[in-house]
Amino acid sequence: MKNKEAYHLANPTWCRGCGLFGIFDALKRTAASLDLEPEHMAIVTGIGCHGRLNNYFEAYGFHGLHGRTMPLATGIKVANPRLHVLAVSGDGDAYSIGLGHFVHALRKNISLTYIVVNNRIYALTQGQASPTTSFGMVTISTPFGSKDFPINGPALALAAGGTFIGRGFSGAVAPLAALMEKAMRHKGFALVEVLSPCVTHNRVNTYEWYRNNIFAVENEPGYDPKDKNKAWEALQHPEKMATGLIFEEEKPTFEELVLADKEKPIAFNDLAVDRPSLEKIIEKFR
Amino acid sequence: MIKDLSVMIGGKAGDGVLFTGNVLARLLKRHGWEVATYRDFPSNIRGEATSYTIRASQDKIYGLSDQVDILLAFDCDAIMTHVPHMARRGIVFCDGEEALRLPPDHSRGKTFHKVPLRSMAREQFSREIFKNMIALGALSYILDLNCSLLEQIISEMFLKRKGEEVVKKNIQAVASGYAKAKEITAEKERHPLMKGEDGDCLLLSGDEAIAFGALAGGCRFFAAYPICPASEIAQWLARYLPQFNGVVVQTEDELAALNMAIGAGFAGARAMTATSGPGASLMMEAFSLAGMAEVPVVVAHVQRMGPSTGIPTKTQQGDILQWIFGSHGEFPRIVLAPGTAGECFDLTVHALNLAEMYQCPVVVLTELDMGQNFRTTKKFDLGEIKIERGKLLSQDDLLRMKNFKRYEFTADGISPRSLPFFKNGIHLVESLEHNEEGYRDEEPLNRIRMMEKRMRKLKKAAPDLVPSHLWGDRKSRIGFIGCGSTLGATLEAMDELKERKVPSKFLQLRTLWPFPTAEVKRFLTGCEEVFVVENNYSGQVATLIKSQVNPCAQLRNILNYSTRAFTPKQIVNPVLKVCR
Repeated sequence: MKNKEAYHLANPTWCRGCGLFGIFDALKRTAASLDLEPEHMAIVTGIGCHGRLNNYFEAYGFHGLHGRTMPLATGIKVANPRLHVLAVSGDGDAYSIGLGHFVHALRKNISLTYIVVNNRIYALTQGQASPTTSFGMVTISTPFGSKDFPINGPALALAAGGTFIGRGFSGAVAPLAALMEKAMRHKGFALVEVLSPCVTHNRVNTYEWYRNNIFAVENEPGYDPKDKNKAWEALQHPEKMATGLIFEEEKPTFEELVLADKEKPIAFNDLAVDRPSLEKIIEKFR
Repeated sequence: MIKDLSVMIGGKAGDGVLFTGNVLARLLKRHGWEVATYRDFPSNIRGEATSYTIRASQDKIYGLSDQVDILLAFDCDAIMTHVPHMARRGIVFCDGEEALRLPPDHSRGKTFHKVPLRSMAREQFSREIFKNMIALGALSYILDLNCSLLEQIISEMFLKRKGEEVVKKNIQAVASGYAKAKEITAEKERHPLMKGEDGDCLLLSGDEAIAFGALAGGCRFFAAYPICPASEIAQWLARYLPQFNGVVVQTEDELAALNMAIGAGFAGARAMTATSGPGASLMMEAFSLAGMAEVPVVVAHVQRMGPSTGIPTKTQQGDILQWIFGSHGEFPRIVLAPGTAGECFDLTVHALNLAEMYQCPVVVLTELDMGQNFRTTKKFDLGEIKIERGKLLSQDDLLRMKNFKRYEFTADGISPRSLPFFKNGIHLVESLEHNEEGYRDEEPLNRIRMMEKRMRKLKKAAPDLVPSHLWGDRKSRIGFIGCGSTLGATLEAMDELKERKVPSKFLQLRTLWPFPTAEVKRFLTGCEEVFVVENNYSGQVATLIKSQVNPCAQLRNILNYSTRAFTPKQIVNPVLKVCR
């Protein structure tokens, strides 16, 4: 096992107390416990405070466009399935501008670990309402309270055919790291939504608020993450948000299904012109 | 002796017009003729009028002629619509009495062969669809075509998908049409076509040529969302890429398509996408990302009629400036415009090389007329293909290096590139402005240096780009400028003008960006009159020239924004007006 500091590239400059510190720490612990070589990891980030992660974590990184982490990460994974591809998004990235991509990545069951940092606000742009902002919450973009009902990302993922659905809390790093480790070991698409307080722009959903509003599914008697009905029930809990490994099942993965040669990544194909095969195909144009 | 012949098949969508035309095109090609097709289809599956023109010539052709010589009409509408515009001594195959309803000045001079296609098909084969091969049988009699070639083509096209029984019945339908034509026509009504050797030629569409070019040029990752008229590229590759350890991903939209290709390009695959119309607009966002991130990627854009959803099945060149000046911010991009099916192949291979050499997005810009219509073309020379990967580092290179910087400032602006998984090459690809290491950097000096580094990449690219092609009489003082599929009509217009003692030359632009300023300047100084031929309303190529050549000679626009591709006359007439 590696030391988690092997992945520590620089000290983050997020606001003191930001939930992203817990996520950063959990990610380092996960990579260390899986003994991953930094060059075998590719981390794709979107636009938001989380997007700085690439500046702090030692791995190949791609800081792309707002909302487009899923297609970027899919392209990378299909081109080189040997890479451990992580995508990190905010709630705006994943559930608003990139929502279409999110649903389709779930549907593909491509082996990506998707960490959605949900702080229920647009923090980088100074605090506008996000798709997970509570109904009625006053923000700089909703002076009379948000009129939109929030999106429940994990429930949406379950409905869309997600094969690994987990939710963690950045205030509880050890269980979060354990969940991330399971997610990275999962064959197929793994969603880990992380409830993550924004200490600057969201004074409602604080660490304390989260602690009072979450419950861990593994503490529920008889809970079985293989049971889809139980998972649905947990995600529809009227008062509290379920955390932990909520649902997991096995399904063929996209890369298994589409790649002709599993051993040889497309990215490292020899591109020399295979004349005999091409000449044969040309004959179809006669 | 007939040297040039246009056959139109007219009917309703769902009649099998396209299939029938494809069989005929192949048949004429196998007789050693040059072939060019033109489909005029509505954008729905069934019910509306469609026509498909197959032109064959003893000369090299790249498009339609001005007139239709033979019409195979599947219904009355086709007759009423197309007979008035036919050649004066045209031949019409029709079902029955509809010809009598034509005004005499439209039917005068033409020959009508009454072959009751539908009823013959119903009676003999109990399905109307057999009318198609009955019609081709009848045509084969009139033109004295080799029926065994036709039978061979039918079995090539049907055997795998539909089985022996269907092949047999279709061959019988051909014989039946042939016999019927023999029965109802006089020997002098036959026009035997010259038969030659089917040389070392191919018959394919621009879309197929792009797809094959992608395959040969090493594209192994293709992501796209279906859209007319670019879908054929992805569909073709979906069939062949797996055997080359490649993959086609059908994405949820065009935003995903280009982003996914960029992801694969970053990982090291030669990656590509294709689109048209609204899809291109969606790609504008990621186009800029590829420019900033310096990730190699190729976009094939088969232009269709806009704005908006427009007319998805009609050709146009309305998106040229979008790729040259479009998207947010400024970044280097290369835009190539093939004018023939052969160039669709060559330029796609080349685009994949350029994307890696210059680490920027490269666009292969064609049009529906090129993409979906078939042309005979010389067999592609696979021996000529070279795969150039530019400054791509290997694992060994990286292990020998100290302090690899992905966006290193270099004299030519191009920085060495490593791939994920390589040791010692870890880096961040950043959509924010960044420093040499790839980390966000907002310092003014860094910004200026980084901007100049990116833009510098194409400053000396000219020798690697595709030069413009000069056609015609170099000494003449009348010049045409154009790009893409308007080439065919332009060249034929030049032939006609020459016959009328108005010699001309034509500068076919094949790289639209970076703009070939020196070539165009040189061409303009040798002309007294310059006509820019374009399939759009506002004259986008002319606008481009004027923006890059200063001072610029007077440019006259020859524009066509109708639903049909240019015919030679549409180019000849405006020139004669000016140059008589």
